[in-house]
Amino acid sequence: MEERKPLFTAKDITKSFSGTQALKGVDLEVYPGEIVGLVGENGAGKSTLLKIIIGAQPQTSGTMTMHGAPYAPKNPMDGNHAGIGMVFQEQSLIVNLNVAQNIFFGHEDRYRRHGFINWKQMNADAEQVLANCDITNIPVRKKVFDLNFATRQMVEIAKVVNVAHRDDGKSCLILLDEPTSVLNEEEVQTLFRQMRKLAARGHGVVFVSHRLDEVLEISDRIYVYKDGMSMGNMETKSATEAILYEKMVGRNSSNEYYQLDKQIAPKEAVVLEVKNLSKFGVFKDISFKLHHGEILGLCGVVGSGKEEICSVLCGDESPTGGELLLDGKPIRLSSPEKARKAGILMIPKERLYEGIVGILSVEDNIALSNLARLKSGPSVSPKKITAQATQWIDTMNIKTNGPKALIMSLSGGNQQKVVFSRAMASGCDIIILNHPTRGVDVGAREEIYTLIREIVANGKSVILLGDTLDECIGMSSRVIVLQDGRITAEFDASVDNKPSQVDVVSHMM
Amino acid sequence: MSEKTAKQRFFKREHLMRYISLVSIVVLATAFNLMQPNFFGRMNVSSMLRDDAALLVMAVGMTSVLMFGSIDLSMGAMCSVSNVLYVRIILLYADKFKAAGIEEPNVGGVMALSMAACLLVGLCSGFMLGLIHVKLKVPSFITSLGFMSVWTSVAYLISNKAESIPRMMKGASDWYKNSILGGWIPVPLIIALALAIGFYLLQSRTVFGRTISSIGGNERAARVAGMGVDRTKIIIFTLAGMCAALGGVFLASKIKSSDPTLGDPYTLMIVASCVLGGTSLSGGRGSCLGTILGALTVIIIKNGLTFIGVDAYWQDVVFGLFVLVMIVLSIDRSKSTRGIAVK
Amino acid sequence: MANERGANLTITEEFAEKVKRANFMDRVMRVAPIMVLAVLILVFSCVCGFHVFLAPSNLVAILKQLAIPLCVAMGLTYVIMIGSIDLSINGVVGMTGSLAGVFVANEVNNLNLGLFGIALAILSGVAVGLLIGLVHVYLRAPSFMVSLSFMYVCQGIARLSYHSRILKITDKTMLWASGASFLGIPFITWMALIMFILCLLIQEYTAFGRHVYAVGTNEAIPRAVGVNVNWVKVRVFMLAGLMSGVAGVLGAIRLGIGQVSIGDNQMFPAQAAVVIGGTALAGGKGGVQRTLIGVLIMTILKNGLLMCNVSPYITDGVQGLIILLCVILTCEHGKTVISK
Repeated sequence: MEERKPLFTAKDITKSFSGTQALKGVDLEVYPGEIVGLVGENGAGKSTLLKIIIGAQPQTSGTMTMHGAPYAPKNPMDGNHAGIGMVFQEQSLIVNLNVAQNIFFGHEDRYRRHGFINWKQMNADAEQVLANCDITNIPVRKKVFDLNFATRQMVEIAKVVNVAHRDDGKSCLILLDEPTSVLNEEEVQTLFRQMRKLAARGHGVVFVSHRLDEVLEISDRIYVYKDGMSMGNMETKSATEAILYEKMVGRNSSNEYYQLDKQIAPKEAVVLEVKNLSKFGVFKDISFKLHHGEILGLCGVVGSGKEEICSVLCGDESPTGGELLLDGKPIRLSSPEKARKAGILMIPKERLYEGIVGILSVEDNIALSNLARLKSGPSVSPKKITAQATQWIDTMNIKTNGPKALIMSLSGGNQQKVVFSRAMASGCDIIILNHPTRGVDVGAREEIYTLIREIVANGKSVILLGDTLDECIGMSSRVIVLQDGRITAEFDASVDNKPSQVDVVSHMM
Repeated sequence: MSEKTAKQRFFKREHLMRYISLVSIVVLATAFNLMQPNFFGRMNVSSMLRDDAALLVMAVGMTSVLMFGSIDLSMGAMCSVSNVLYVRIILLYADKFKAAGIEEPNVGGVMALSMAACLLVGLCSGFMLGLIHVKLKVPSFITSLGFMSVWTSVAYLISNKAESIPRMMKGASDWYKNSILGGWIPVPLIIALALAIGFYLLQSRTVFGRTISSIGGNERAARVAGMGVDRTKIIIFTLAGMCAALGGVFLASKIKSSDPTLGDPYTLMIVASCVLGGTSLSGGRGSCLGTILGALTVIIIKNGLTFIGVDAYWQDVVFGLFVLVMIVLSIDRSKSTRGIAVK
Repeated sequence: MANERGANLTITEEFAEKVKRANFMDRVMRVAPIMVLAVLILVFSCVCGFHVFLAPSNLVAILKQLAIPLCVAMGLTYVIMIGSIDLSINGVVGMTGSLAGVFVANEVNNLNLGLFGIALAILSGVAVGLLIGLVHVYLRAPSFMVSLSFMYVCQGIARLSYHSRILKITDKTMLWASGASFLGIPFITWMALIMFILCLLIQEYTAFGRHVYAVGTNEAIPRAVGVNVNWVKVRVFMLAGLMSGVAGVLGAIRLGIGQVSIGDNQMFPAQAAVVIGGTALAGGKGGVQRTLIGVLIMTILKNGLLMCNVSPYITDGVQGLIILLCVILTCEHGKTVISK
């Protein structure tokens, strides 16, 4: 058999963001005419890798080649020139422009005549581009706004093929980052037909999806990533969902890591009951009970609705249906302030963006949620604020130059401990942890696990959205699995009855 | 590391504005005094301080608004409304008294009534502004721009020409002339200073005040931490509206008459006072004590330029450019741009 | 797996439903201004009488009143389309109007630069636009603050330029232009219409016009394909300065004098016209053709109210309410959007 030359290769790509390693050396090879699927959990590094390939982010180390030549893009334009195009997760079309204008956006100069654009020529060319991609039935004069998502995606693909298309007729590489997340069954099939056509023309396609069935259906070869590493690749022929789950999940984690010896069985008493909670278009009929002293894990891929459920529970968003019972009494949480007063507080996901107030000191950040209790007379007592902070710095082992140090001078892990201190000082009985270990290094992560165990030991209850599935199962005493805004499964996760990750994943995707 | 240095730079910048204010007060005052020796005369000083009082009450209100990163562009127009309303009500009663043949009416009562009416209008305006901004999530500058247009025309509707406080009601403006310490410190300034210190205590010593600076630092984080973000914002806008109304009353008392366009130039002067006092337009930092300094700087510049005989028209140009430079200097470019684009 | 997805289709359907509703609302908003315009014309015709309101003389008056607001609003449309705002309008229009008076033949000075002077006056507007754009973009100061400062600067320059001796213009061309009309439509209206066509051409037929939409939608998109976003913004402010400059000159022609008050009360009608026409303050949406409808609405509203003997001050206040109402109706009430 004739040896095929790869269209694109990436070797040992690593990427670290301030302290954490998103990619720990991944490889990827794409041959002309091939559809490659990338699968992995959230945070496995798929999207990061694609962004590095297109040039939107630089890699920390590692090399790439395109058409056999070294390839080191500085920005997405370099990527385009080399023949690589990417359809971003967030749609990158400008909805108030028409199809042709979107396809040639940023390349209008070649249609300029006497200072004005020759739209006729551009429209004709746009039709040609669409035809080249075997896309039919899209009027090039129509505004993107008036197109449905599937058609928009076709336009996006055409645009990407056009910018990546090289004059010398060499084939190009098209990266698709979760293109199916907004499409329905039929539209997905249209997209797949399109991808096959592209591959048939000799282009390489990389396809990322959370839905394993889709990956198995469309791709020729599948790469499995886990925790920023390649877990190998296989021909789709020889792959099954079970094998893929196995690979994605990898080894089972050690029990000590999640301090299972400290896991306590929750009490019978129900502190929070969620009944048929719905938010139109996001999640539907969510019902569960949170017990006293329980860590309840919510698992699901991005877009499964778990984040939004947390937002509703902490009063940040309002639901469109259903009710919440706190200690058996119905309650309406119209703002996070109300929720805090009722005893529910969230530790948010994006620490810098929504967790800490960067211009304030450590002590002020700790006191944000319980200022009203730190008064002497009518005014806030700076002494009490400092005293509280000193105490927490001590208990939490926060590394800082003192309570008056600026929060921004702390490392990510210590900032997170400050946020935890605030939550614990707030006196709330239900704490929602939204990715508590995101962007935290390994050492601090372990301390945070200890903290979570202590929180429940003190009689509080926790709803946990783990940064990884492993973490979620390891820490929780019960796990609820969500898919597309509905609960698909519930697992008991008591110390000696932890569900396997494969079981959980199979209900997520 | 870069975060830390950025932080240090920011702190310097905050103080920088106050240094600029202090230095400009000293330098300008000296320079003006050299050019016109009676610049430091009692007449001019107390006149300046009376101007300062009116500006200060309004700037104090704006400081809190700026501190959580919003802005109220309608303050100048609100000031005009309250200005004409104050005089209008007094005139109304003057006519009534005249018709009833009362020679020495109860001016204090009328004054209190009209002042209360002005403050009530300010309160309503600020409350509505805050409500629309917070609950409907409309940017404050555009909401207040709409209010500015509405209030400008309301001011005209109340009275479309300048009106004077009649002689029989002169008690309604005379209080403004009173002063203590041998005529150097006017009473209105005492009121304004008391207000500024009151706001300062509110900002630095109460849960409410700490909420303000937390919102300015990171609104999202303050909200997630369960602080009363919406309520705080609405209350502050309400207070700012009342401050603007009070400013209008001060001005009416000072010039003993009303003018529906009186407040227009004040919007920029108010912002300038706050910025010169170290309040950042990007939110989070500032204090009403700094604003005292800033307002004084603005008044010295305005008054000094007039006093040494600079063309009134040049003053607009110089002052506009001066504010521009100050704003550019005070913008915190190190703050993460995430979530907030510079529009 | 497939059957599970089938059972869960509802969320996807709900999502699609949500999108559909948003699209429907948008279509309604697109035709709403025209409906409002029609209703206004009908109401005023009924109230004031058809023969009065639709009389040729009143129509010409409306067209004449339309000219200056149209110019100003078109420049502002571009600024709002990139998501910024320009509060300097009163000042720039006043300044260019005054300078036009200074540069051409007048009763006070002997400069008499003729058409060149008019060009110079317009250029001064462009220069202010350039400065606003540069300070806003490169020093990252909010546009509303920068332009507000420049309003005062420009008003000062305007007053300085004629030093309280109001300039009566004696330039023959300008005097002719103030009275001239073609096909019954006044000259200044023709000028405004020419500017309208120019703006429309720029918007529809140049890369710059397309980039304006993109910058307003999401700056990251044009940046990723190598469009110089900063320069687009600066050019938008220059264009706004140009349009204000033209408006100033037209104002000088109309009044026959060069005076800062030409610019008075120009900004609010313009803002109202732009937002009522359907250009979203968040940027990325709208266009000068929509602003034309908006300006027509504002002009007819003003004219109609005046004919019904309503106080002009109420009309001014109505502008503010219209701005507020339109903004509330059109702004995206997203949760995570922090509005400052």
